[in-house]
Amino acid sequence: MIVCPDPIRETLLEDARAGAPAEVCGVLGGEFGRERSRIRSHYPAENVASDPQIRYQIAPREQLELFERLEDRGEEIVGFVHSHPEGPATPSATDVADATWPDRSYVIVSLPGDDVTSWRWRSGRDEFEREACEVSSGSGVQTR
Amino acid sequence: MPTRVTVDVKGEDTHEIDLERLAASGNSGEPISYADLLAEVDLSPHEVSVLVDGRPVPEDQPVEADHVTVLRLIKGG
Repeated sequence: MIVCPDPIRETLLEDARAGAPAEVCGVLGGEFGRERSRIRSHYPAENVASDPQIRYQIAPREQLELFERLEDRGEEIVGFVHSHPEGPATPSATDVADATWPDRSYVIVSLPGDDVTSWRWRSGRDEFEREACEVSSGSGVQTR
Repeated sequence: MPTRVTVDVKGEDTHEIDLERLAASGNSGEPISYADLLAEVDLSPHEVSVLVDGRPVPEDQPVEADHVTVLRLIKGG
């Protein structure tokens, strides 16, 4: 399960709409657990993929900077978010092929239907496992 | 070449690797590369980026730093 503050969920949708038709991406910080995580903050990142309308990638230097920022806040790496401007709300074949973070949450924002779904990468089985997404009334932190 | 290197795999563990032991266990006589360090911690160059002082380095480059940061890639579609 992943717990996401409602303001962060709304920001994820807003960012996805603003970035369309390109995919947007970012890092999620908070409290990490193999079965239950809680998002405390959202760190948008530049999508440096060569074809951002169908791919996303975070550059290593920015990735390191974002990790250091969230660690300075006492947070853990909860997972990552990216958008599917044309859908679906499920991981694509590219998502499956490129997943590298065992047990972290990969949140997908699908604009058709304004769906926000979350998936754990289970590397032992080479597959994503959908997890429940609980929306909380907490504030969370938006970082830019 | 340093004798020991700290490999910090972000979000996971930090490993201390004895380069002299690693070199002695190899057969090629070639300098230890960053790819060799990744193999020592069961990571593939295809799934990570290796950084020294915050800058990505080629995995086939000989190890010259005593502290290395490893980042699993964040990508997909």
